[in-house]
Amino acid sequence: MKILVAVKQVAALDEDFEFTPDGRDVDPDFLIRDLNEWDDFALEEAVKIKEASSTPVEVVALSVGPDGADEILRKCLAKGADRAVRVWDDAVAGSDPIAIARIIAAAVRREAPGLVFAGVQSSDQSYASTGIATAAFLDWPHAAVVSQLTYAPGAATAVFRRELEGGLLHEVEIPCPAVFTIQLGINTPRYASLRSIKQAAAKPIELMSPAELGLDSAQIGEAGSASRVRRMYVPEKGRAQLIEGNAAAQAARLAAIIREFKGEGA
Amino acid sequence: MSRADAVTRILFEAFPAAEVRLFYVLGYAAIAAFAYGAYVQVRKYRRGAALALDGGLARRLGDMAALVLTHRTIERRDPAAGRAHRLIFYGFALLFLGTATITLQYDILDPLFGVRFWQGGFYLIFSLVLDVAGVALVGGLIYMMYRRGWLRPPKLDYARPDRAPGDPDFDRPQYRREDWAFLWTLVVIGLTGYVLEAARLVWLQARPDVWDTRWWSPVGALLAESFRALGMTDHAGGTLRHGLWWFHGLIALLFIALIPATKVKHIFTAAASLMVRDPLAAQRLPRIPESQAQPGVRTITDFNWKQLLNLDACTKCGRCHEACPARAVGAPLSPRDVILSLREFARATLESGKIPQAAELDVHGKAPGQVAQETLWSCRTCMACVEICPVAVEHVPIIVQMRRKLVEDGAMDPLLTKTLQTIHKTGNSFGESKRKRAAWTKSLPFPVKDARKEPVDVLWFVGDYASFDPRNQKVTQTFATLLHEAGVDFGILYEAESNAGNDVRRVGEEGLYEVLANANVAALAGATFKTIVTTDPHSYNTIRNEYPDFGGTYRIQHYTTFLKQLFAEGRLRVTSPLSYRTTFHDPCHLGRFNQGYDAPRDILALLGCELVEMTRNRSNSFCCGAGGGRIWIPDPVGSEKPAQNRIKEAAAIPDLQVYVVSCPKDLTMFEDALKTTGNEGRFVVRELIELIREALPAPRAEEATA
Amino acid sequence: MSGVLIVAEQRRGELRAHSLELITAAQELRRAGETVSVAVLAQAPAAFVPALSLSGVDEIIGIQVAAEEFDPDAFEGAVAALIAARKPDVVLIPHSVDSFGYAAALAAKQGYGFASDVFDARRIDGALVATRGGYGQKVSVEVDFPGRSTVLLALRGNAFKPPEQPAAPTVTAFEAPPTASRWKARQFIELAAGDDVDMTGAEFILTVGRGIGEEANVAKFRELADAVGATLGCSRPIADAGWLPKSRQVGQSGKTASACKLYVAMGVSGAIQHLAGMKHVGTIVAVNTDANASIFSVAKYGIVGDIFEIADELRRLF
Repeated sequence: MKILVAVKQVAALDEDFEFTPDGRDVDPDFLIRDLNEWDDFALEEAVKIKEASSTPVEVVALSVGPDGADEILRKCLAKGADRAVRVWDDAVAGSDPIAIARIIAAAVRREAPGLVFAGVQSSDQSYASTGIATAAFLDWPHAAVVSQLTYAPGAATAVFRRELEGGLLHEVEIPCPAVFTIQLGINTPRYASLRSIKQAAAKPIELMSPAELGLDSAQIGEAGSASRVRRMYVPEKGRAQLIEGNAAAQAARLAAIIREFKGEGA
Repeated sequence: MSRADAVTRILFEAFPAAEVRLFYVLGYAAIAAFAYGAYVQVRKYRRGAALALDGGLARRLGDMAALVLTHRTIERRDPAAGRAHRLIFYGFALLFLGTATITLQYDILDPLFGVRFWQGGFYLIFSLVLDVAGVALVGGLIYMMYRRGWLRPPKLDYARPDRAPGDPDFDRPQYRREDWAFLWTLVVIGLTGYVLEAARLVWLQARPDVWDTRWWSPVGALLAESFRALGMTDHAGGTLRHGLWWFHGLIALLFIALIPATKVKHIFTAAASLMVRDPLAAQRLPRIPESQAQPGVRTITDFNWKQLLNLDACTKCGRCHEACPARAVGAPLSPRDVILSLREFARATLESGKIPQAAELDVHGKAPGQVAQETLWSCRTCMACVEICPVAVEHVPIIVQMRRKLVEDGAMDPLLTKTLQTIHKTGNSFGESKRKRAAWTKSLPFPVKDARKEPVDVLWFVGDYASFDPRNQKVTQTFATLLHEAGVDFGILYEAESNAGNDVRRVGEEGLYEVLANANVAALAGATFKTIVTTDPHSYNTIRNEYPDFGGTYRIQHYTTFLKQLFAEGRLRVTSPLSYRTTFHDPCHLGRFNQGYDAPRDILALLGCELVEMTRNRSNSFCCGAGGGRIWIPDPVGSEKPAQNRIKEAAAIPDLQVYVVSCPKDLTMFEDALKTTGNEGRFVVRELIELIREALPAPRAEEATA
Repeated sequence: MSGVLIVAEQRRGELRAHSLELITAAQELRRAGETVSVAVLAQAPAAFVPALSLSGVDEIIGIQVAAEEFDPDAFEGAVAALIAARKPDVVLIPHSVDSFGYAAALAAKQGYGFASDVFDARRIDGALVATRGGYGQKVSVEVDFPGRSTVLLALRGNAFKPPEQPAAPTVTAFEAPPTASRWKARQFIELAAGDDVDMTGAEFILTVGRGIGEEANVAKFRELADAVGATLGCSRPIADAGWLPKSRQVGQSGKTASACKLYVAMGVSGAIQHLAGMKHVGTIVAVNTDANASIFSVAKYGIVGDIFEIADELRRLF
């Protein structure tokens, strides 16, 4: 069977970043990119199922992103994915999670996996939506915030636990094929040595365009999105009142705050 | 005939021909056994991976001969053992040469060419020399017995730090048995040799050419006189001689036959190991050849022949065990036991006709002969073991190559994994943006040249800790100010500098090291400069010794030699001498790795400080514990850290005021240890740069606040 | 299309407080003459009417569903049907674990406008504009929904204060067409208490984060917490690494420290998941070496310094 893992190359802000001239995004020169932390756990979960299985399981890493995203796909190949696929053309730019989900769903239809994994959310835009929206486009059973998964490749159902607020777990049985968004801490993602990443560079990454997946321009990019960015700005941060002085002075002030809270006086 | 020049010893005198033949048969059998044993050992080494040696064989032979004859490596830090071993070595060597000389005449030159030289004056001097040699041999051996059995130095305790009492290979009594057997066998051979000599003298007392020249074999003669005084007749002497001759001969032949299978083989393996040594073994680690599929060492046959030879050269002297900072604080690592485990493993798997399946050759694990992960990860790569080993065993490359496999498997502490990922992403171990690398320059009252953009005389490679760690940034800024005041034309690489990679390589992440080294070499190639100066000994080591393998060869100095030069040239002048009572901690990567012991001491003298050495100084300096990636691996809860052990050593110096370091990691580790050992307030930890600053205060008041 | 529809969240018979915050947000979006309705899906929706009878709510719509607890198919089916029937132009739901499980699916399938983790929503020149975070909450992003007649917004918790005044809204029922549920719920599992600590009742919490470096350092902070009279908590990475039991994890998925009034965070950077769990606390003191750590934007007091030094100094004073 096949497990498809949707991964995203997320961006973090560098020092002294600047916005693009239209004020709707950050200048890409100031973005530091890496594999989304949640997707690392999702990929590891898929590879674990593959390694524990007595029947062959193929893990396919899929990303919707420009050239630079090949870097994270290579990392996924180094970590145990068998194949990697990237979908892009310029028309995809400006897509929100709903539009991305439409593209992922089209790729899923082409690949026909038995399970689809995604991360609960991305560390940059934290929408927590792409995976579940994909499930809707596929009309597949779905579950979010999965912190534990029990699945035998080829089985008709899986049992998962989702992690609720307040430290509660909800255990549910779900028919497969299904879409799961995977939570941090479900496993310990393996390390991909640089050598293995370099060797993975020899493996091809299949590049597809949305058109090849049967999507037209109205379904992707801004046109296919459920929201549109008007502007991006640095908010006036509520700033903490900084306690100055050396460590002893700072600790003394903190002690005073604590004593005041306890009603003991400063 | 009683001519003096005809004095000699008749071999096999009065032996029936059958006995002589028997002896020759046994002799050839012993030699054949030796040859076969040697073949098995050499076959074992050849089952390792290939390795090409650089440097000519003749030069290596010469270097080895010098080391062996001077015994320099054995007497270091243990002069008594050095003296005793010298006696044993020279005694045995002479006795062996003596036997060879006799064989040369008796079996080759005389029967073939009728040449005889072992007679007359030569024979007498020969006898004297060999008697003295025998005394030396037996004397040395008896001292060694006393040392082992009475003095019992801790380094000869074979208990392993990575096993618990009760484990099968906890303290290896078979090693002790073998050691004692070796000592006793040689002593017995030596002593029976004298008794035999005496017995012959008593037996032949009637012959003037024997009896009159007996004092040329003083020990034998003394014993002969005693025997005669006790009533031994010449007939009894003859019987004793005959029996003892066979006894002595058989033990000696057995000894020879068993050499390849016992500790005695160190005669050959130690010499060979010294001959193939790499003086930069720990300073310049080997690259992974392109052809190699799996990085690092997984099976015993992944080691190269030199490493397998190293395993056999070890004589269990325990010096590495004693020097290791990890072992000293109770970590499950003894370099000695890594070598011995692997040796036992090689013996068990590679000495039979067929080599077992690859699965049975895995050297990683907890079974006897294997090396556990915790052991490998405990190493600080400080090279104390490599540096002190008398027989040139190269432990550090063995450990690092085994780590390469662990890294490939992801078998690392999570914090280490995270740090490696961080270094890959940001080029530094702090996870800070590249743009912040030179943030420390912003508060300086003068601009620091950008070596990427303009040529400079001195390119200062700053290093991670010096750039990002707040405490070390102060030192970095002070150094910049000193250079500025001395009028040095210097610059830095700003964001183009990456972590130099020294510790990444020693962790075993060779792929990441290659990325870092190539990046730095490319950055340096884009700059124009005459020399590199660095305040970071780790960067110093890798740029100096390892970057040439990546196409980057430079003139590089550690700041201590550079500043000393500036003092010598008068560009820096001490205006306000300090009179602190100081001690200096030699950083591993500057001192032991690159022999940079003197410059810091010369500077301290220039500053007017009083230097009191710690017991473990210079090449014996005790590592702060941060090397080998250990600064990125948490220490077990409740254990002593090497830095604490070291601070306690310093605290034993009465009235110590300043503990001087010249490495950013040392500064961090020791300031921490000062607090956690409760020594805060008793003395301070200072970087040498800070002391220099104090001894030549800033010329203008405004700059003093910089 | 008019009116604001709120879909409340309940679990194990209790209405989740987050839902009430949406009522306040709805007032900002309500146009003159429009109603604010709150829908609640449950086996016995009437039970939640008292809790929802608050000022600002015009109507409580009870939807009876077969599933006892959250079920994505049931929710998606019922809410879609309700929206089709009532045609609100804004639908507000909590940005919560449950809504992670269905909100985007609902919006995708039905073609609504959609934004999640929204902490501000208003009308600008008649258009609905929502504000959310970007690039790890380091920037704010304003989004709008051109051409969408219905917009679904998932609102962040603790961004709005719930109303306090009671009211008497109309109570109605909505019959949703039956939807086949693919989930087969089994059970809830409480995380083992580990060391019997009750984070939910703790008023003074001292939390440690990744800044403490190694497991060996936990003991020092545990001791400090005891000395100052605080309950020791930790952020997710610490609990995931096993250095402290999960029961001590504070943050979005950890124990909700709802009674907490004083919160001292040492070595916690303030990742979104952690902040979301603690924003309601009256006094937050953050100690961190990084002056730019996100936590300083939610804390009342900040100390930029070495947490070990501060810990040592603080310990001396108690």
